Amino acid sequence: MRECQIKLEQVGDVDVVHLDGALDAYSFPRLEKSFGELKEQGRMRILLECSHLDYINSASLGALIGYARKAREAGGDLKLAGLSPKIMSIVELLGFDKILQIYPDSQLAISKFTHA
Amino acid sequence: MSEPVVQATSLLTYLMAATQLLLAAGGAYMYFRWQKLRRLHDQLLQEKEVIFGFVHDVGEVFAEADMIEPDLLLKRVLFYALRTTRASAGAIYLLDRNTDELFARALSGIFPPLDHALTPSTATPVSKSRHVEQLVRSVSFARGEGMVGQVADLNTPLLIANGDVDPRVPKHEIDFLRIQSMLLVPMRFHQDVLGVLTVANRIDGQPFAQTDLNLLQALADQASAAIHYAGLRETIDEKKRIDHDLALARQIQSSLLPKELPRWRGVEIGAFNQPAQQIGGDYFDFVEIDEDHLGIAIADVSGKSIGGALLMSICRSVLRAQSAGNVHPAEVLKSLNRVMSRDISDDMFVTMLYMVYDRGAGRLKVARAGHEKPVLVDSSGQIRLVESRGTAIGMTDADTFDELLEEVEVPLGPGELLVCYTDGITEAMDGQGEEWGTERFFDACRDGSGPGARALVETIRHRLDRFVGDQPPYDDMTLLAIRRETP
Repeated sequence: MRECQIKLEQVGDVDVVHLDGALDAYSFPRLEKSFGELKEQGRMRILLECSHLDYINSASLGALIGYARKAREAGGDLKLAGLSPKIMSIVELLGFDKILQIYPDSQLAISKFTHA
Repeated sequence: MSEPVVQATSLLTYLMAATQLLLAAGGAYMYFRWQKLRRLHDQLLQEKEVIFGFVHDVGEVFAEADMIEPDLLLKRVLFYALRTTRASAGAIYLLDRNTDELFARALSGIFPPLDHALTPSTATPVSKSRHVEQLVRSVSFARGEGMVGQVADLNTPLLIANGDVDPRVPKHEIDFLRIQSMLLVPMRFHQDVLGVLTVANRIDGQPFAQTDLNLLQALADQASAAIHYAGLRETIDEKKRIDHDLALARQIQSSLLPKELPRWRGVEIGAFNQPAQQIGGDYFDFVEIDEDHLGIAIADVSGKSIGGALLMSICRSVLRAQSAGNVHPAEVLKSLNRVMSRDISDDMFVTMLYMVYDRGAGRLKVARAGHEKPVLVDSSGQIRLVESRGTAIGMTDADTFDELLEEVEVPLGPGELLVCYTDGITEAMDGQGEEWGTERFFDACRDGSGPGARALVETIRHRLDRFVGDQPPYDDMTLLAIRRETP
């Protein structure tokens, strides 16, 4: 599995986090670090762009839910876009599609953020 | 006549003076040469002493090398390396096979950081040497990166005679971290590089010489075999410990699974469970709630080893307590989640399918907490997935879990079957790494449903075995089939 590459991009007041590779116990702490840095800057509108995400382990998915909750409490949100059918089926099986907001592409996802 | 005498006398005087001068020059030459030879002799004697000392030291390193702890062995090697080269500080970097990075495993003296970006802070709560040691230990080098990485990658020793002008050497502002001279040698066992032995700054302030480098390489060569075997032993010890943990976890797990299947009039039950060596935490259980209601649970506990096994045992006791007298599976799962969320760590969770079969009504109540959906097979072999919302136990707060969990009711007609499973079944792999997959699993459910629940379990198992071949199972596999008998 390829190690996860994490790239940040700002689109208006939304921070798009591009994930490329596999998100697992080794790479997740780096994503957490990026979240932490965004939070320190008071930026809590985060979109995870997942069209190049090959794999995500369940523990990372669980942690994402925790971040989404924190973001919502702070008036923002954590949304997902571009999930592969395989990852989407895991997300559905675990029931997380009801907790996280998931969109087919990032453009649509960005338009769904409420703005300050 | 006096003139020639004077001339002859002065000539003689000149000659004598010249001879004296020559003699003096020769004597001085002889004297200096003698001194030089003596110096050389002293130096050789000193080197001989060093080499004798070194041979003795190597003997010391290997005395009982197979008995001592790897860290102690490294410390010894470093001690003798410093003594042999008269260096004031040293470090042993070992190569981590998993990450292919070199990290400082043993340090002696105040060994300066070899990373250009690292500047030790002067204001530090811990002592300076502790602080520097922490810094050095916190940085690892990839193969080929920096001096340490290059020595490991090229498998060649490196002598830095003048650190002040060498661009490869980091310049530290703090005086006691200044690198004046350095030696780095690879530690190798056969073709493998195990790590890098390095020393810095001679005590006498002189630069290291080629002789020092040769000696250090000789010491490293001798030490490498011992380090190699110590590393192996460490791996074996660790493996033994893990195996012990796993065996214990297995023991706990298997003691929690039902010893025999319930015999219920009007219902036929088939089950298959195969634990894996590596990961897994499948659990299934039957609860006889009352005369007419049978609880059926199947779960996959994430988390390896003892943690997973303990979580499973908590899961079992809580399920048994909560399901008593309660015929509503969603209610049972909700209280199970509330109780377990407290014990569950962030990286662990449980997916569970819990169903209650009502014999009188011929119906199943189903609640699914993030688990694989059960498969309903009718008497003609048609299959349908039982859909219901629900998320895994221990993943969200209790309110979200409750809000998401749905209970659905499924009629089970005479001759109809319900099949439930864990992902170890559908994700079982063959030798080429291909998964068995849900499609093959569903096909087996369609084809094998005719004769009954136990026969279906056998069919699925047979097909799965044929697909997987002699690959050892990577994950636990569990399969349950419940069939309502025809009157």
